[in-house]
Amino acid sequence: MTTPLLDVQDLRTVFDTKEGTVKAVDGVSFQLEAGETLGIVGESGCGKSVTALSIMRLQRPGRIVSGKVQLKGRDITKVSDAEMREIRGQEIAMIFQDPMTSMNPVFRTGWQVAEPLLLHQGLTKVKAMARAVGLLGKVGIPAPATRAQDYPHQFSGGMRQRAMIAMGLTTAPQVLIADEPTTALDVTIQAQILDLLRNVNKEFGTATILITHNLGVVAGMCERTIVMYAGKIVESGPTTEVFAHPKHPYTWSLLRSMPRLDDELHQPLNAIEGLPPSLVDLPSGCAFHPRCQFKIERCSRDVPRLNLVGDNQLAACWVTQGGAELKRG
Amino acid sequence: MLDPTSLPEIELPGSPFEGDTSRPAQSFWNESWERLRANRIGVAAGVLILILALIAIAAPIFSLVLTHFDPTRQHLIDNFRPPGHPYLLGTDELGRDTLTRLIYGGRVTLGVASLTVVLSLTLGTTVGLLAGYYGRWLDDLLMRIVDVFLAIPAIFLFILMSILFRPNAFTLAAIIASVGWGGVARLVRGEVLSVKQRDFILATRSVGAKDLRLIVRHLLPNVLPILIVAASLGVGQIILIEAALDFLGLGIQPPTPSWGNMLTNAESYFFHSGWLVVFPGVTIFITVLASNLFGNAVRDAFDPRLK
Amino acid sequence: MLLKFVARRLLASVIVVLGVTAVTLILMDRTRGAYVPGIDLNPALRPEDIARLRANLGLDEPFYQWYLSWLWNVLHGDFGRSMIDGSPVITHILERLPNTLELTLTAIVLGILLSVPLGVIGALRRGSKSDHALTVFSVGGFAIPQFWLGLMLILVFSVTFQHLGWPWLPSGGVTSPFGGGDLGDRLLHLILPATVLSLFYLSLWSRFTRSSMLEVLSQDYVRTARAKGMSERRVVYLHGLRNALIPLVTLVGLELPGLVSGGLIVEVVFSWPGLGRLAFERALQYDYTTVMGVVFFTTLLVVAGNLLADILYAILDPRIRYA
Repeated sequence: MTTPLLDVQDLRTVFDTKEGTVKAVDGVSFQLEAGETLGIVGESGCGKSVTALSIMRLQRPGRIVSGKVQLKGRDITKVSDAEMREIRGQEIAMIFQDPMTSMNPVFRTGWQVAEPLLLHQGLTKVKAMARAVGLLGKVGIPAPATRAQDYPHQFSGGMRQRAMIAMGLTTAPQVLIADEPTTALDVTIQAQILDLLRNVNKEFGTATILITHNLGVVAGMCERTIVMYAGKIVESGPTTEVFAHPKHPYTWSLLRSMPRLDDELHQPLNAIEGLPPSLVDLPSGCAFHPRCQFKIERCSRDVPRLNLVGDNQLAACWVTQGGAELKRG
Repeated sequence: MLDPTSLPEIELPGSPFEGDTSRPAQSFWNESWERLRANRIGVAAGVLILILALIAIAAPIFSLVLTHFDPTRQHLIDNFRPPGHPYLLGTDELGRDTLTRLIYGGRVTLGVASLTVVLSLTLGTTVGLLAGYYGRWLDDLLMRIVDVFLAIPAIFLFILMSILFRPNAFTLAAIIASVGWGGVARLVRGEVLSVKQRDFILATRSVGAKDLRLIVRHLLPNVLPILIVAASLGVGQIILIEAALDFLGLGIQPPTPSWGNMLTNAESYFFHSGWLVVFPGVTIFITVLASNLFGNAVRDAFDPRLK
Repeated sequence: MLLKFVARRLLASVIVVLGVTAVTLILMDRTRGAYVPGIDLNPALRPEDIARLRANLGLDEPFYQWYLSWLWNVLHGDFGRSMIDGSPVITHILERLPNTLELTLTAIVLGILLSVPLGVIGALRRGSKSDHALTVFSVGGFAIPQFWLGLMLILVFSVTFQHLGWPWLPSGGVTSPFGGGDLGDRLLHLILPATVLSLFYLSLWSRFTRSSMLEVLSQDYVRTARAKGMSERRVVYLHGLRNALIPLVTLVGLELPGLVSGGLIVEVVFSWPGLGRLAFERALQYDYTTVMGVVFFTTLLVVAGNLLADILYAILDPRIRYA
């Protein structure tokens, strides 16, 4: 088996707060192959963003306490700061949720897009700007040469996000991490951005990790999906499988909570009961068990581990371990 | 059409919080006061100011107990004595006891400062309330007058006024307040303008409340926090100005001691009597420091804009 | 419409200036009655001469007449004559103005040059000993009486150093203005007063820079910058600082109207020949006209400065024109 492009092994990141130690990422492991699209789904606070930031080693003020992140076989949690800076923006790029606040208001957009080239590839300003303009055009910004001279506030939301995507792609990174790239945008623009990301992935072969709380986004875009809850991965597998046959009650509840066009009229929404747990004071056993419809006695005692529940599907649940199907209960 | 009686019973999910989650209601004043009390540095500073104020008010008692001297008593034979016994902090060029003079000087400085605060707050608040409440031409007129006073560089105005009016403690306070009130007026007017918009003013008016009642009983209490904050923050600066004017000879004149005028001639005595320069200055510094720290704490606790 | 805005602000400024003249002249009215021009030069003046001199200076006219003739004079650049030697006040003012500006501008520049690094250090090392030291320093700096600090510095760096035979700084009395004197000597004289004056700005601006910097460093675009893989230095100084300095510019701008008056105490303590010291010296000699002339002149500068600033803001930000 070839070495995966990105191999995260038992990553644990914590934050020290007044109330206690928050286990934001609590033993996360997954792999990303070259050119693959992976979605990480979960509620706010489940640890998906911190996972991404930990991969980039931008998790401060948090600390990575254990685990490995292997990029092409090299453990980047252990490399020096200088080496990590080389990797950031060049081999792994990350773009963020709100392009308005994520871009520096006092610098021109074109220059910000070109900056990674100036930093990592030592291009002259002229060459770098030329590449940036070209990239801006590629991501669908009309009149890119003029637009490159504009400041971020002069762009519309969708155009700004395209510019951010361009910024992530300038150095042709192997991995692009997109943290909630569509959340701050109108629904119609969302679709366009997702199209763009899909094209980018096809054309450039950039492996993409898409982080979102929106299942619809994942369904349209990602080959594989990881579902996170309370700092752990609770389910992972090919998107079609996970959506068609969810093997973890949380995934199952999430999918059920989405209203569907073919639902009966006046059908009440299926919200998941209760609230996400405090990451300082996790429930005993399975973190989801207080809200779970299917729980058995073991769930409150032992923490379930990820187990193979299908061809390529993993789930961390005592109930489905033996192959049980989750049905409307 | 939905028939309200035919809807199934909807059970609301139980609250995940157990127990009583309610808190007793707290007024703005209580809450702010608690916050102030929690600020240890602020409290320490406030206590220090209180002590200084007490010493100032009870100056004769303190000097009787500590030093047995009169602040203007000259004893030329004993001039330039270093700190020791019986002159605890030494004497000046005329043999007057430094410590006693510092104690009495505190009276002057703190007295003038308090008076200044009272004057500028009173005048400023009145003008601000009237301008903000009545608006239109009265507002324009009053604010132009405020602009005039704020346009004149303060220190020059002070100099001019102190040579026109022989300064005693009261006129000095009036002089210093003549600039400060403008800032207060603007502040108050701004608050009034924003409070005026709120519905409870309309409601009170609609029950037939007269203007004066509205202003005093409803606007004023809402403006009070801003005033408290402004006053606490401003006291330090006022003390420094007063001391500077005294030092320049334009304020309280000797033989009445004030921390500022104790330094007027001290420079020339530095070599042999350095304490004459150090003690009054340090006293001013500590007092202003304490009032600044206390003012910051008050602002952190009371300023409604920081909520 | 920009023009309408300018016209309105100009009118307001003129009204304020007129108001200032009214206030100051009402105050000055008290002095008209008692003053005997030339009395200190010649104590044996006869009553007729006194009457004549007073008539010449228009000291017995009704108030409004005096006010109007004063206004007329001012519009022609005549700010009155000194009550001591009859010399035109405006001459003294213009002579001293550059000195004051030299002092205060130096202090402001010094303040900026020191505040920014201190503020940045405080922000980068938040919570550390150096940060606490900075806070203590700025809180303390705010509480020190300027005149006392000036005195102490003179006593240490001038008197004591000289006494100990070490190289010492002059305590006052700058020799000659720009053209004539020695630049080095002038700089030497400038050090102490400018330092004292800049302390105030330093205390204020270093804390402000620190909090501005902290706010900027918590912004999303700083996170993006780090994600691009640049050195922390570049993140802080290129991406961060530029944004943090913008509000500081506004703050510094607020001090500009105080440029002519702020240095008075320092000027007096260090015998610096500026406008402030002029006003003070003449005040001690009860030279009312000179003091009034200085007050009015500086007020004019303040009003003009504010007007200019308002117009500038309106040019830069179109939304203000409709305020």
